[in-house]
Amino acid sequence: MMWSEKHRPASLSAMMGNEEARGQLAAWLKGWRKGARPVLLVGPPGTGKTTAAFLACEAFGYDMVGLDASDARSRSRISGVLGPVMGNAGVSGRPALIFVDEVDGIHGRADFGGAEALLRLLKEPTVPVIMAANSDASPKMKSIEKASKTLRFRPVPPRLLRAHLRRVLREEGASLSPGTEIRTAEGCGGDMRRMLNAAQSLAAGFDIPADAGQGMLDAQAGTDAFFAAGDAESALAALRAMRMDPREKIGTLFSAVATARLPPEAAARAMDAISEADLLYGRILRTKQWRLLRYMDAALAAKLHRATRGAGVRYERYGLPWQLLNRIRWDGRAVRSLCGALGRRMHASSSEFSTVYLPYLAYMVGACGAEPPDLSSEGGDGGQALAAALAKEAGARGGMPR
Amino acid sequence: MAGGGVMWVEKHRPAKLSEVVGQAEAIGSIRALLERPAEMPHLMFSGSAGVGKTTTALCIARQVLGDHMRDHLLELNASDERGIGMVRDKVKRFSNYAAFADVPFKIIILDEADEMTADAQTALRRTIEDAARVCRFILVANNISKIIDPIQSRCAVFKFTAIPKGDLVAHLGRLAKAEKVAADRKSLEEIYDQAEGDLRHAINILQAAAATGSGKVTADNIRAAAGLARADSVEGVVKAAMGGNLAKAREGMVELVKVYGMSESDFLKYACGAVYRAAPPNMGEVLEAMAKYDYRILAGSSPEIQLTAMLAELGRLGASR
Repeated sequence: MMWSEKHRPASLSAMMGNEEARGQLAAWLKGWRKGARPVLLVGPPGTGKTTAAFLACEAFGYDMVGLDASDARSRSRISGVLGPVMGNAGVSGRPALIFVDEVDGIHGRADFGGAEALLRLLKEPTVPVIMAANSDASPKMKSIEKASKTLRFRPVPPRLLRAHLRRVLREEGASLSPGTEIRTAEGCGGDMRRMLNAAQSLAAGFDIPADAGQGMLDAQAGTDAFFAAGDAESALAALRAMRMDPREKIGTLFSAVATARLPPEAAARAMDAISEADLLYGRILRTKQWRLLRYMDAALAAKLHRATRGAGVRYERYGLPWQLLNRIRWDGRAVRSLCGALGRRMHASSSEFSTVYLPYLAYMVGACGAEPPDLSSEGGDGGQALAAALAKEAGARGGMPR
Repeated sequence: MAGGGVMWVEKHRPAKLSEVVGQAEAIGSIRALLERPAEMPHLMFSGSAGVGKTTTALCIARQVLGDHMRDHLLELNASDERGIGMVRDKVKRFSNYAAFADVPFKIIILDEADEMTADAQTALRRTIEDAARVCRFILVANNISKIIDPIQSRCAVFKFTAIPKGDLVAHLGRLAKAEKVAADRKSLEEIYDQAEGDLRHAINILQAAAATGSGKVTADNIRAAAGLARADSVEGVVKAAMGGNLAKAREGMVELVKVYGMSESDFLKYACGAVYRAAPPNMGEVLEAMAKYDYRILAGSSPEIQLTAMLAELGRLGASR
């Protein structure tokens, strides 16, 4: 299990840092009456906003009804989720509390309908509303702040982080060298979750290069740690410690697997796992359901790790031979513009031209000395790049394949 | 018409409906429709590659628009436009102004319309309605079952059939004569077989074979010329994958897609063809795997990852034959 999940504090008072904000949150909820202003928790990731909201709910006997930025995108969804709750009890009969996570994300995506619906809700709250945001810098957050009471969460100081880290290590029966311990606590930027993820992978024996000691793993260290991990849990910890864009993360793992020369069965299973992760990411992009991202690491860790265990897969920066990379980089653009331009003249799509015409045209010009078409009106530079691309293709078609 | 000077396909493309090869039935109905051009509905042509759909659309445009074709015809290819937004913008700009008085309407040819997703087609429906005051659409598709019903119901649909062997061979013969190429009937039939009924491909083969043999077409020349098409490169990729050489297969695929700009959809089309021709004993499984990844390309985010995963799956299936 992930340390960051397993070692979540059990009560508000057991949390680390941000005493003042936690105290104000507890006081607010304790004294909450119909019509009281909502609270807005503002602070960087991993400082305990969600945990505090959750624990406050527990402490005062509320049922938390959650919304995150992706739910709150549209007015209808907000009304759909919250409508039945407003002025009503939660599912279990306990009173309901609404928690809106990533509220800055609503504005960030210009989902105005959603923001309006949310603002209306904030003005006449019939149940307690807690919102969380990483930043209140955007001008549009001001309208939300005006309607609510802001509590600030600050990065947890390294001293407290280190104390917590030592306790977790003790409970896990794990240890880190004092130097690593300090670096991990100080390098995570006050983000508790990130510290624990990094610590878990470090304790599992991953060797983190000195310059990547920011409490997280870079692409290379993370990839190598993932494929070297002894079990799916440590593999998952390595994935989580790779703080990078999901697309890049999938791409990095893909590059490693694609160049690993695995036996067919293992290659197919490993690629299937990566393909599924990409499928999930595609769906997330399309539906903007960012909360689904949380399943990506877990899905990858289980399937991909099982398929590649012990196969010695390593990080590979360039998944393709440099000749091909150069061709993509230098020839690709010109060839594609050539196909687009000539395709239009021949009433064919660029892909169609490339497939059914270009080889014949290149052959006619290259091997049979036909006059190449006039490209001077194409492209920005008088078609020179396009003409050069055609000449190169023609050169490659100098002889008939036998 | 540069490019047309070199390639016979363009040089000898029919300019009039009466010259279109082998589509007697569809052409007959279309000519009847065009007797009162002002009443022409939107049209949809479906049929496999190289049977004359785009050529027919262009002939109609020429007949209806005459000298105004240049400003009154908009050609779009769905496979080249990035999303319905681009199509909508271009159509909007084009249909902003009505046609000149002596032309009944403007014409928009949307080729490879079946490359559009169902969502994009739904949006297209509205675009067609908005532009209908000024424009007529001619939608061209390989596979009509990929066109949503509401679009089909707005068009008069014409199915283009495979060109009969006799018609195609006779046409090649006329072409050979016009280009002063010596080719006997047997060679022309061989070209028909190699091109699998695709007239455009057949003409390309004839031209390349004639050039190789300095005006004389031989069986060897024909086979070599047929091998030029990049569909053969896709076949090579599939063979490498099924032979267990994933790295080689992937490099071949990446070159086709990223250097030559072959669409994933075309890649899969030719890959399917290659599998049919190779007919491995577990062909059902192979095609099922390809269908699975075809879907994943549409739903996922990186076509390169999905196509590579498909090649890896082919490797597994190739090894288990």
